[in-house]
Amino acid sequence: MREGERTSDADDTGGPDDVTHTGGRPALADRRDVESVYQPAEDSDLLARAASERVGAGDRVLDVGTGSGYVAATMAEAGAESVGADVNPLACRQARENGVRVVRGDLLEPFRDGVFDLVTFNPPYLPTPEEEEWDDWMEHALSGGEDGRRLVDPFLASVGRVLAPDGAALLLVSSLTDPDAVREYGRERGLASERVASEKHPYEELVVLRFTRQ
Amino acid sequence: MKEDLMDIICCPLDKHDLELEVEERDDEDILSGRLVCTECGESFPIEDGIPNLLPPDMRDEAPA
Repeated sequence: MREGERTSDADDTGGPDDVTHTGGRPALADRRDVESVYQPAEDSDLLARAASERVGAGDRVLDVGTGSGYVAATMAEAGAESVGADVNPLACRQARENGVRVVRGDLLEPFRDGVFDLVTFNPPYLPTPEEEEWDDWMEHALSGGEDGRRLVDPFLASVGRVLAPDGAALLLVSSLTDPDAVREYGRERGLASERVASEKHPYEELVVLRFTRQ
Repeated sequence: MKEDLMDIICCPLDKHDLELEVEERDDEDILSGRLVCTECGESFPIEDGIPNLLPPDMRDEAPA
């Protein structure tokens, strides 16, 4: 749950002046220079658990938007041949320092057809009105645009291309992102889907969707 | 990057094969060099062990 992850730092230092949620966003100034790379939170953990249950030794797996590399590293520990990709150069560096094989790239663009047994993606999914967006790497990691699906939709539009014949994609979304609409978008692009994990949090429910080619 | 990454990456622009040109390596880890598309000829840098396969127009951009 990213909202909670964001405010927890403020809780540690802010005492009674905790950041309050007004439509869900803590004050920008509190976060501006704290981190430029998204660090593992409840969402990463839910996705990593769902993924590690589904990979076997030697499986070729890709974690898109890998950030610190947490999900990619978890799949590697489960025996997979794991690669992380991120558009953020700072994330790429951090993931590499964490022992993850990493590629800097835009979503699935730099990967070959039909090579992955599993692709995971913990995307930016918070719906964010345009006037509230700001321009830094953490914003990029959190904001999903007006409907929360700024990167979810292009991911689903192209993930089928890189999946092996029996491959699958695991996508983490929030109830705030409208999982049914996400599944419908996938269906229109030839992807069958099912809910394989979920976890309730104060402001949202986190859901892991599994997509396969129809 | 390790050389076996070549099995899964391709040119982000036209999905053709890349050719690896190594400048500096530390054992199996390729630290710097280039990846050149065998079709369109576009060159992608490898820096500090990380291949940068962003399309050229996204390479130096701030986050958007």
